[in-house]
Amino acid sequence: MNPGDTLFDAEYRVRRADLAAYAKASGDTNPIHLDDAAAKAAGLPGVIAHGMYTMGLAARALEDWAGDADRIRDFTARFAKTVPVPPGDEGAAVSVAGTVRKVRDDGSIEVNLTVTCGEDKVLAPARAVVRPS
Amino acid sequence: MLNLAYVGRSLLATAPVEVTRESIAAFRAALGDTDPGRQDVAPPTFLVSLTLPAASSLADDPDFGLDYSRVLHREQRFEPVRPVRAGDRLSAELIVDSIKSVAGNDILTLRGKVSAQDGPVGTAWTTLFVAGSAS
Repeated sequence: MNPGDTLFDAEYRVRRADLAAYAKASGDTNPIHLDDAAAKAAGLPGVIAHGMYTMGLAARALEDWAGDADRIRDFTARFAKTVPVPPGDEGAAVSVAGTVRKVRDDGSIEVNLTVTCGEDKVLAPARAVVRPS
Repeated sequence: MLNLAYVGRSLLATAPVEVTRESIAAFRAALGDTDPGRQDVAPPTFLVSLTLPAASSLADDPDFGLDYSRVLHREQRFEPVRPVRAGDRLSAELIVDSIKSVAGNDILTLRGKVSAQDGPVGTAWTTLFVAGSAS
């Protein structure tokens, strides 16, 4: 395993019903993630995904690859751009790619995450440390 | 403007909440993950279900000066000690790590230490951009 190697590349679809379910499950009920009028009042073009929703998708891709949530250590992201979620079944597409940043002496892997929606890098930078299994 | 005297203070500790298999499954299902093999174990981002509602409740303290309607979530970091599992009784302590003023806006970093009945399960750092009242 070398720096730059691709570890995984996943694509997810986010619909407004998912954001409503996430709001309920996470307790983050900010209306800009649920209601166009509230989003517009906050200066946004429409409903956007919770930053933590997108980071949750990145965690899902990491966990699918690592095989065990217990291997994930020090997971960090900056919310660089929003993920607009239009109404309907199409929703928005978010892709999550993981590459090797560095392999530490103890075998832990530093992973660079590239999380995009369309042309936008929505989490940047985003990184995690995955300990050996 | 936030009250700079709060830097370093521990602001609140939430009452213990029991994590159920249902609450983990609902969190995972919202993210499209319905794998039946992992519904007893929460993903690392589950910690925000304790720390973000606690952060928003800081707006109830008028001396702190946090207007949550001006808040944007800017950065998030997790340092898990172990995964949260069904049956854990979790509570969170929130500490004001830093407040930086940039062009009339505040950058607030909160450290949420989450513990279960047997000790710490992880730390979640939340950085919020708080738009100044003049903007």
